[in-house]
Amino acid sequence: MKSEIRTIAMTVNGEQVSVDVEVRALLSDVLRHDLRLTGTHVGCEHGVCGACTILVDGESARSCLILAVQADGSTIETVESLGSVSSLSALQEAFRENHGLQCGFCTSGILMSLCAAERHGEDLEETLGEVLGGHICRCTGYQNIRAAIEAHWAKSVTQ
Amino acid sequence: MTIETGVRRPYVGQNVLRSNDPKLLTGGGRFIDDLHFPDMLHATIVRSTLAHGTIEQFDAGAARAESDVALVLGPEEIAATTGLLPCVWLAPGQRMTHIPIASRKVSYVGQPIGIVVADSRAAAEDAVEILDITFAELPCVVDSEASIAPGAPLLVPEWGDNICAQVDAGDPRDEIEEVIARAAHVVERRLRIQRVAPNPMETRGLIARWDAADESLTVWMSTQTPHHCRDHLATALALRADQVRVIVGELGGGFGAKEHLYPDEVMVCLAAMRSGRPVKWVEDRVESLTATLHGRDAIHRARLALDADGKFLAIHSDILGNLGAHPSNVGLGPFRVSMGMLPGPYHFERAGGSLTAVLSNTTPTGAYRGFGMQEATWVRERLIDEAARELGLDVVELRLRNMIQPHELPFTTRTFQPYDSGDYPEAMRRTVVAARAEANVTSVGRIRRGLGFATHVEFTGLGDSRSQQIVGFSLGGYETAKVRVDPDGSVSVTSGVTGMGQGIETGFAQLAADHLGIGIERISVRLGDTASAPYSATGSIASRSMTVGGGAVVTAAGKVRDRMMAIAAHQLEISPNDLELVRDASGRDVFQPKGSPDISLTWEKVAESAWLNWNVPDEFNTIGLEETFVYNPASVSYAYATHAVSVAVDLDTGLVKLEGYWVTHDSGVMVNPMICDGQVLGGIAQGVGIALYEGMRWGETGQPTTTTYLDYVLPLSVDIPNVKIEHMVTPSPFIPGGMKGLGEGGTITSPAAVGNAIAAAVPEIAGLLLETPFSPSKLWTMIDEAGLHV
Repeated sequence: MKSEIRTIAMTVNGEQVSVDVEVRALLSDVLRHDLRLTGTHVGCEHGVCGACTILVDGESARSCLILAVQADGSTIETVESLGSVSSLSALQEAFRENHGLQCGFCTSGILMSLCAAERHGEDLEETLGEVLGGHICRCTGYQNIRAAIEAHWAKSVTQ
Repeated sequence: MTIETGVRRPYVGQNVLRSNDPKLLTGGGRFIDDLHFPDMLHATIVRSTLAHGTIEQFDAGAARAESDVALVLGPEEIAATTGLLPCVWLAPGQRMTHIPIASRKVSYVGQPIGIVVADSRAAAEDAVEILDITFAELPCVVDSEASIAPGAPLLVPEWGDNICAQVDAGDPRDEIEEVIARAAHVVERRLRIQRVAPNPMETRGLIARWDAADESLTVWMSTQTPHHCRDHLATALALRADQVRVIVGELGGGFGAKEHLYPDEVMVCLAAMRSGRPVKWVEDRVESLTATLHGRDAIHRARLALDADGKFLAIHSDILGNLGAHPSNVGLGPFRVSMGMLPGPYHFERAGGSLTAVLSNTTPTGAYRGFGMQEATWVRERLIDEAARELGLDVVELRLRNMIQPHELPFTTRTFQPYDSGDYPEAMRRTVVAARAEANVTSVGRIRRGLGFATHVEFTGLGDSRSQQIVGFSLGGYETAKVRVDPDGSVSVTSGVTGMGQGIETGFAQLAADHLGIGIERISVRLGDTASAPYSATGSIASRSMTVGGGAVVTAAGKVRDRMMAIAAHQLEISPNDLELVRDASGRDVFQPKGSPDISLTWEKVAESAWLNWNVPDEFNTIGLEETFVYNPASVSYAYATHAVSVAVDLDTGLVKLEGYWVTHDSGVMVNPMICDGQVLGGIAQGVGIALYEGMRWGETGQPTTTTYLDYVLPLSVDIPNVKIEHMVTPSPFIPGGMKGLGEGGTITSPAAVGNAIAAAVPEIAGLLLETPFSPSKLWTMIDEAGLHV
């Protein structure tokens, strides 16, 4: 019952990759299970929770709503492209300092949405409203996520 | 698992940043679906598409013929090779006490009836589509009141009705009735708490690997209770417990939903044993909403009796609890807890409840954050507001007039809860002062505003083993910690509780560092592997990890410290009483005689000699630096809080917006205030979901209609205001370290506070605010019927 296979090429976190995918495969699954970039999490697989958010050609996108073949030729960025355990990015550091995560499952997607917002120069109000509004977190009650965003925007974005 | 080194002792009480965060923030967490094993197969669970019926045929011939399908097991094959799962908490007279792993009889949509294992998850899902399954459909019942109505479809026909058990709690019914009969005022309401789904963002999942040569089963699993799952896996699969190892990595939330072993999880392990290859199964969101245990679903016909002066005389509730298709592992537990916690922080001459728990053709109900206490608080605190409204009294004044005073603690309630310590009126006063000073309660045009209050006492930590035995809960109340200093001076701490995102690893490191007297950077906390963790009969449930687990860590760490001190004193030829353990100017942990900083022994040197067994005190009869302490708490510890919330209600749309939120909260000693706040905040958001948005629904044929996040609405950031938290700290009188639990309090009280705030904003509909959630359409209808649309 395998579906047709195609070879797609993408730039993922700065590296050229070529991967054979079933035409029905979701981008989220190819990133996670073929490329083993498991930092992108899958929470609902129907585009509501936002956990699987990545950047496709610089724009935030739900990787569970994109077929991998649609990403052929695209530039993909995932949470693995941000800081490392020994050197967190400023945004990741703000999340840590403000206790903006608990179980951490939804966090990768939120970080990627915020990356896009930061690059696009979104202001704080837009980021706290529309951008964070695209994500479900069941642990934090959102307050400390907002605190992390406020701290990061105050420090890094508005200056 | 390193912790930053800038913080200085004592660590308890400081906002030490969490040890797991760097890993989680960089996508390095190891959730179940992040694990890959060579030669691994992927499973999909076959589920009932009918609410009630019998499987007449399960023909997997076509699926088995597919080249990428490795194994298909149907209900009879599974049932023939698996034992029953025992219910853990049994009520007196409970008519169903064990659950089959699979059966030809189906009783709810989503019930697992088989498993397909294939090269990929997609191939397994394809194969499910070509199974030839025929059902004989039976009439179904989903609502608890319909379930006890004459002529209702019966889930177990030989019972003659759908009642699984009936239990009373508290004072004898006739005594309660006698008090109510002579009361000046009785407020009686039918209050309902809807069915909700716990919704951890990481769904359930596991990978099972059977080693045929060793005859051992290793299971990587997303669970709050690894030992419990190990024991029940052994029971269900006819293995010895020592043949089964359960390993928990990161947990993407639990909230109670992952506190026991599910039948579908047993099927995955059985498939791994049959296929000889690792098998992964990860639940999808539709399954999570329909096949993971739900919470709540109770109808209370409750009465609050008062004398002419507004003194509470009695509280009683007749509870109709919906168990779903079968009693879960905790069965009637949440409804029973509602009866036990109904009195809250108030005096009553008599108090109690009567519970009827019924089966229905719905997903079983079990543990969810707040476990019966949220329902009890909803009922009690709404009744009190209704009493105040009817009697023309202030809602705060009425509460304070009836509260248990601090000098009366310890105090045993009429429902036998031994409240330990605290100042309940003070928590209420502080919240009221803050909220009344800051809340905007000015209605403008069609926007009505109001401020609501609610308060609660919650049991945390479950108490000792004997009290579990008394209530029929097959759990040990103790928890064990093991603290070991290795020869290089590094320290490992293990415990039977698990991390599930709450940050317990960091809290334990803080406790261990303080009670060892060393820098926190030396300490690693390892949880969740039954091969290395001490046995836990209970796991991480019931807000007990920090209270009971932490109490064990405190004591075990203290014992290791005493041992280190004894060795160092022996080597320095002084009394341990004349020795101190300090951090010297160069940042080393050193032992030195008091007042003689020139003479010192490093922590590492003492650790090394201890493991060599060189120069240790002659009286030592064991070698090494490892201490295990089993802590069985003397009793339950009781946390408490008062919440206030201000709301704006749009009369034209029925939309409720929360504008301000205030909490005063006491969970004893706070090991890490930042994490404590996080628990309160997250709990409140889940309670707001119950108050305003969430709810599982079924159609008349028993088909669930809320199976995606477009239908099952969870709170988003815009729905949750910033919360101002004030802490009181009344140490637990008996837990070493003084901690009380705090994982659930936010959820317990927030729905009642929101309901009372809506009542304050729109008093014309106050008497109708009895059933959560208050969706815009429901509120709009109430507002309309109250004549507020002109």
